[in-house]
Amino acid sequence: MNNKILIVEDDAVFCKLLTRFLSKNDYEVSDAQNGADALQFLKNNTFGHAILDYRLPDMNGIDILQKIKEKTPETKVILISRYGDEGVANKAIYAGADAFVSKPINPTELLQVIKGTT
Amino acid sequence: MKLSISKNVHLVEPGDFEPTDHWYPRVLNSNIHPLVSYFLNLSHEQMMERYHRLHPSADKNAIMEILSYQPKYFRWAGTDLMHVTNHEGYRKLAVIETNSCPSGQKSMPLLDLNVEKGGYKRLIEQTFKPMVEKHPLKGNLAVVYDKNPMENVGYAATIADAFQEDVFLAKFDKNDPDPPVKFENGLMHVRNEKDEWVPIRAAFRYVTQEPWTRLPQKSKTLLLNPIEACLAGGRNKEVASGAYDWFNAKFKAHGIGIFTPKTFTKVPYGELKKYFEILGGNMVIKVPDSNAGQGVYTVVSKDELDFAMSKIDPNDHYLIQQLIHSNYNKGLDPTQAWYHVGTIPDNKGRSYAFDLRLMMHATEEGIRPLAVYSRRSGFPLNQPLPENMNSWEVYGTNLSIKGDDGWTYADERLMLFDVRNFGQLGLGVDELIKAFVQSAMAIYAIDQNAIITFGENNTNV
Repeated sequence: MNNKILIVEDDAVFCKLLTRFLSKNDYEVSDAQNGADALQFLKNNTFGHAILDYRLPDMNGIDILQKIKEKTPETKVILISRYGDEGVANKAIYAGADAFVSKPINPTELLQVIKGTT
Repeated sequence: MKLSISKNVHLVEPGDFEPTDHWYPRVLNSNIHPLVSYFLNLSHEQMMERYHRLHPSADKNAIMEILSYQPKYFRWAGTDLMHVTNHEGYRKLAVIETNSCPSGQKSMPLLDLNVEKGGYKRLIEQTFKPMVEKHPLKGNLAVVYDKNPMENVGYAATIADAFQEDVFLAKFDKNDPDPPVKFENGLMHVRNEKDEWVPIRAAFRYVTQEPWTRLPQKSKTLLLNPIEACLAGGRNKEVASGAYDWFNAKFKAHGIGIFTPKTFTKVPYGELKKYFEILGGNMVIKVPDSNAGQGVYTVVSKDELDFAMSKIDPNDHYLIQQLIHSNYNKGLDPTQAWYHVGTIPDNKGRSYAFDLRLMMHATEEGIRPLAVYSRRSGFPLNQPLPENMNSWEVYGTNLSIKGDDGWTYADERLMLFDVRNFGQLGLGVDELIKAFVQSAMAIYAIDQNAIITFGENNTNV
């Protein structure tokens, strides 16, 4: 099982808190606060999971989702978006996301989603 | 914990405190030095008696007045001090800076290994909680911050446990065009997941970058600390200097005073060269409301003066201070100069300048020490400064940690007050007592300045 996870979220504290939580649950976590940095990670790494925020400063999470699926279709992608972002869940699933989670994110529940998509 | 309930807002819940998230790994694995533990447990009476022994002309009643003082505005503070000596070997602790919103918990070993929340718990339960319980407003609790998320998540988790309530952890950055925190008629609100603005009855405040642009005076939401603490000197070196002068004048007859390097305030840009000459070619230039080592320039040469002047605003005024020297500056007036005592030389003979960060809080007893650690400079005091090396490398003690999230591991310049590092500083209990009494005087001075400026009735408390 590939236990590497990429988190892409422009809130640095979100990334750190989630990274620390997932690391304690035996995942190897990388994080990026924008799409360009995320794509750089993807060039050199293959991840078991990617957790992508829909709204990023330089692109939206679905663009990154599509690039991930082109390169490594086996990477499970979980798209996250804020409460009330109507239609994002459908867009995410049509684009090939393996799961969609609405904010606020409960790390324990997210862990269950990660395990459920493994 | 619920992450991202709205942009830059997380909800911290009871049970979320995780020690590994709120201390540097090195600190979690350290043991507090027994002398430091002993110091932290001394009563005010013991400290007062000892301070009087060390300073026989210091009035005991005046010392107790300071230590038992109940600040109205400035109830959580940190001072940076330096251990200095003169040509006769007379050593003192010099107050360099006093700050509201001090960092320090993540660098402080546990006082009691059985109390896993350590200083976070002492600050929240002995200072914040009593204030909140007396506050009549209804609403939620929050931690608002713009730096140091490692400690602020710790404070939020401690508050959640102390009150058994969820706590909003909201980033309130000066550059955020759409911050998740706002004030309406003096009442703080935080944005929730439904884009609603939730009223906050009390907030722990770690907003440090020009906080006066975001926090109102006379806040109805209880703040630890309110903005008045910053405006009265807790975040402005020039105002603080005036407060210290007032204190020293008031208490001179009682044999106590705040010791700082010789300071000149409101120095216009055009006179910096004159002060450089007056101070013998060595000085420190400070931008009055800067922090975290920014806006501070050590100057030991014309080149460094030119460099500093190229970086600062020609239309502004500055604070100039006497430089505390290494022993390598020849031509100093021995009756005026103060020198760094420095760390004990290591096995390569290197001795470094260091500062002492002392965090304090107001409790029912008065002002008490809470956390303490040191930072040393990068280049030794007792080696010649290489050409092209800035004197900041010798005298500057702020840690330059990559990334400002507070989770990045601190380097060896962080000197913990643990069994491994404390001995290298050459400090004993007497120095810690002197540092604490000096720091308590600084809090007293700034708080009194706040009362004089803003009034006795702090609507915030």
